[in-house]
Amino acid sequence: MKEFDELLFNEEFRYTEEHEWVSVGGAELMVGISDYAQDQLGDIVFVEMPEVGATFARGEQFGTLESVKAVSELYLPVGGEVVAVNEALGDSPELINQDPYGAWIVKIKPSDTAELEQLLNAESYRNMLRG
Amino acid sequence: METTRETVLHGWHVEQGANMALFGSYHMPLWYRSGTKAEHLAVINAAGIFDTSHMAVVSLSGRDARGLLQRCFSKDLRQCLGRGPLVDGRAVYGVFLSDDGTVIDDAIVCQLAAESYMVVVNASMGPAVALRLGENVGGLAVVINDLSDRIGKMDIQGPLAARILGRVLREPREALANLAYFAFRGGFGDFVAQRPVVTVDGTPLLLSRTGYTGEFGFELFVTIERLPALWESILAAGRDDGLLPCGLAARDSLRAGAVLPLSHQDIGPWPFLNNPWQFALPWDGGGKAFTKDFLGGPALLAASWNKHTLPFAGFDARKIGAGEGSQVTDEKGRTIGTILTCTTDMAIGRVEGQIRSVAEDPGFVAKGLCCGFVLLDEPRLPGDTVVLSDGKRRLTVEIRADVRPSRTARRPVSAMPGL
Repeated sequence: MKEFDELLFNEEFRYTEEHEWVSVGGAELMVGISDYAQDQLGDIVFVEMPEVGATFARGEQFGTLESVKAVSELYLPVGGEVVAVNEALGDSPELINQDPYGAWIVKIKPSDTAELEQLLNAESYRNMLRG
Repeated sequence: METTRETVLHGWHVEQGANMALFGSYHMPLWYRSGTKAEHLAVINAAGIFDTSHMAVVSLSGRDARGLLQRCFSKDLRQCLGRGPLVDGRAVYGVFLSDDGTVIDDAIVCQLAAESYMVVVNASMGPAVALRLGENVGGLAVVINDLSDRIGKMDIQGPLAARILGRVLREPREALANLAYFAFRGGFGDFVAQRPVVTVDGTPLLLSRTGYTGEFGFELFVTIERLPALWESILAAGRDDGLLPCGLAARDSLRAGAVLPLSHQDIGPWPFLNNPWQFALPWDGGGKAFTKDFLGGPALLAASWNKHTLPFAGFDARKIGAGEGSQVTDEKGRTIGTILTCTTDMAIGRVEGQIRSVAEDPGFVAKGLCCGFVLLDEPRLPGDTVVLSDGKRRLTVEIRADVRPSRTARRPVSAMPGL
């Protein structure tokens, strides 16, 4: 398990209390899970992703992550339409462990970018984890 | 509340950055920094070491020690090695049953001498098994000692186990040559060895060709204060061969793929019948009677238990957690049972429906298959499919006779990479 000072954060992203991240800016936003989340889950062995074109409300489950330890649900940080899923994760789910902020899971077209304001920035997320 | 216990290697695990969790009452490593997949594959391709000193040991000595085991333990010690009796230097797997035929714990019994036995049971089970033995002594001449938390134990498992272990032994050839599956050599502490096995730094150990991974390897027993040095020396001896320290997650996925039960999860407070481990019982040839009378035996013969414990494997790495809210259904959604174990064996995958292992082909990229055990209200045959469900997700899996192919546990020492 990583010590707190070993955890990686992307300062540009926004975070949920359930440890998803979402990129900010542009018409399409990337969604993934944080370094803390992948470290807690252990090796990811399967990623169940939604269909392109599916729409979800903010906080709605859009997929699952299977680690060696458990099955975890993925919740969408902001509502919107799925415009892409990361096909590379089908063959190589371990990319999430290796590069949690590069290995996006879905790209979404947000229905209301104002929802981003309700998420944690890197500093608040860091503080939440620090307890 | 029960206090959390630690093994003598706890500090090492934490220092190495292991992801720690409670297992029973012990604070144990789930995986180290290399991750469960790498640890699981190390045991298939090279070797892994496991801290198993949370397990408990009970000693039996005296003229009637064997008689007490005949009374309480499920194996018939007069005929458990083929048709032959248990002899010095050999071990057998069996169970301790309650009078009603349900499982107290499973165990390996090692015979050091005609009047000296070492009984290896699960974490925290030393007191319960010692009590069960003690309350049935009834005039027999036997001394029972619960050695819980006074034994150091680690396992080295994987095809390179003998080669790596040999490097830390003073006379590796004498210790390892021709050591059969479920045989052991040496001794430690009160378990006096006829022929000692000693490490290069002078530590006496009991070296047993047993394990809980389905792969070739050994369980090592030493007095508790000797364990950290043994652990470090074996780790150093195997570092260049791909040896990894392995946590409980890899131990769980390896044993599930090898169709080995976890006590109190796959066997437990229900009759020990209709499961893949009936070899632990002293069935006579006909399958209607036992070759000896033992505690729990009559209840099993009289039981009307019609549930079935069956191994399964999925078609990809997805799994359904075995827990509250999860169940097994038939294809139409009718509930037919519960999930006992569901984990992912990362060394296997499907090729045209058939299960293949990286052990058969190092070039094979295994994506992992979920596997484990279900407890069904009705029988099913290998090849039948059932559906695991957690209320939201449904996963079709196949009932199996076996799961991970090409396991190495039973291969002769001479067939494995040498000393």
